Amino acid sequence: MSERSAAPPSPFVSRPTASPADAARWSPRRILITNLRTISGRAYPRVIGMMREPSWLFFEILLPFLTTSAFVFVYRALQAPPEYIGFVVLGGAMTAFWLNVMWLMAAQLYWEKDQGNLELYFTAPMSMMSILLGMAIGGLLMSCFRAAVVLIVGTVLYGVVFSVDQWLLLLLVFLLTLIALYGLGMVLATLFLLWGREAWHLTQLLQEPVYFVSGLNFPVARLGVLGAAAISTIPLAVGLDAMRQLAFAGSVHTDGFLSPEVEALILVVMAVTFVAIARFLLQVIERLARREGRLTMRGS
Amino acid sequence: MNVLAQAGAPRARAPHPTRREMAANAWRTFRTAARLGFQIEANWTDPLPFLVYAVIKPVFAALILVVMLEIISGGQADPAFRAFIVIGSALWSIVVGGIAGFAQSVLEDRERYRMLKYLYVSPNDLVTILLGRGIWRLAIGAFGGIVTLSLGVVVLGLPFALERIDWALLFMAMAMGIVSIIALGMMLAAVSMQTRQDAWQYPEAVAGAIFLLVGAVFPLVVLPSAVQAVGLLTPLTWWLEGVRKALFPDIVTAIGGAGSLYSGLTGRAAPSSAEILLVLLLTTGLVTLAAVLMYRWSEHRAKAGGLFDLTTGS
Repeated sequence: MSERSAAPPSPFVSRPTASPADAARWSPRRILITNLRTISGRAYPRVIGMMREPSWLFFEILLPFLTTSAFVFVYRALQAPPEYIGFVVLGGAMTAFWLNVMWLMAAQLYWEKDQGNLELYFTAPMSMMSILLGMAIGGLLMSCFRAAVVLIVGTVLYGVVFSVDQWLLLLLVFLLTLIALYGLGMVLATLFLLWGREAWHLTQLLQEPVYFVSGLNFPVARLGVLGAAAISTIPLAVGLDAMRQLAFAGSVHTDGFLSPEVEALILVVMAVTFVAIARFLLQVIERLARREGRLTMRGS
Repeated sequence: MNVLAQAGAPRARAPHPTRREMAANAWRTFRTAARLGFQIEANWTDPLPFLVYAVIKPVFAALILVVMLEIISGGQADPAFRAFIVIGSALWSIVVGGIAGFAQSVLEDRERYRMLKYLYVSPNDLVTILLGRGIWRLAIGAFGGIVTLSLGVVVLGLPFALERIDWALLFMAMAMGIVSIIALGMMLAAVSMQTRQDAWQYPEAVAGAIFLLVGAVFPLVVLPSAVQAVGLLTPLTWWLEGVRKALFPDIVTAIGGAGSLYSGLTGRAAPSSAEILLVLLLTTGLVTLAAVLMYRWSEHRAKAGGLFDLTTGS
């Protein structure tokens, strides 16, 4: 007893234990705190990176806003009804989240492998979902800012008039869309890693086709069967369709595929399904990484 | 040992390589970098998925615009405007590929392969290496553009006639357009040397912003006059106009038209072919000069600040 009290406290031991097996038994509180620390630890470099290099304000806020503006001017050249300008602004705002999910989440585990961090993640006593959640939260700040700028500046500059009757439902649909999108991002992160292919190319492949089938700039119902397929599989498509109907209530141009309430339910199903699949796939890759030791090898 | 030394007996050499040796060395560097660039771009998959990858982005980008046009026109779109949109969208894939190629080569070699520092200290010019690395993305963009244009002619029935093509205008406009795209790509490569890893999306963001200014998919006349003026100073505006005019002589002008700044300044409805080429030459020269200056400044700053061997993973 006296020997134990004389020894300096180890920063790696949270409590005295009788055996390694005993040491591996963590209380739920300790698991929770470790995972919360993981989330904040993984979000930290993203947030601090933004602070340290403000060039992103120009490249990731102003320039994408100009891209959105290009589509506004296409509709102006076509003398489209004003609601369509609003659709473009709304779509432009939501693009920020899709790009964030694809570039800073789906492709990230692959890049972490390239950088040599992935093996550290697998060996550390924390959940991989916490890592991905940390990435999501770090990136989400940037995406929210970008989306807000596109939405606010676009609305003011191009005179978009929103007509919202159900604010609560609109907010709920937006949050559900984000959860489903980031759940899909987690699934794609594991799939990109498992496929071992070029994440960059896969990410590129999932941009314009998804914008098209999601009806980023026009009602997705105009795409017929393709639109129906998108509504049932892509959170961006169903979320945008519902938000368009809720943000331009009463407009004859919104042309919703289903009612916003039904689309909100679809988003709930998508959110639960994608997060569950992500959890399963993350366990699979963790098992594979530990058993076969190949997933973390660089240069595949 | 001098890389140009031939096998066999050593012979006395001048301390500096001759111009011919420098040209041969630069060509070899370019060829090797281009080969590497092709393998990085194409070796990740089989030929068929690669071809799908090459065309999917420009084709869907054009489809988005075509559907927007068809929805608003109720399926009765003006064929000339449809052709305008498809050509602009197809040509834009060359711009995106060209601009992205050079900037992302810097990021890949610095952040991912961690070779940029070795490339920089090797006895090769970094610009030549970047040109070689980036040229394939430009070529892939061009391939995607050609496929998009072909689909436009075959599927959408764009009024295309081979015998009406102005080959001289097409060739000269394309040559100068490619130079200006490469110059813009080098500018962005210079920016990438100074930025962190998350700069992967910057090239697309820049291309998207220029997309607004150059009348790629709508006539400049719908923009405010000040923005039209910026567009008229951009070589890509004149490149697009030249290529459109060469391929489809009866197409809508992006630069002129009633109420446009161009028509207000010149009193003409649309620029002539000679005018397009002259302004394209001038603006390309200016952009190339700016790219050279910007690249030199960036390289100097990166060298002084140790940015070539910096990995900024976030």
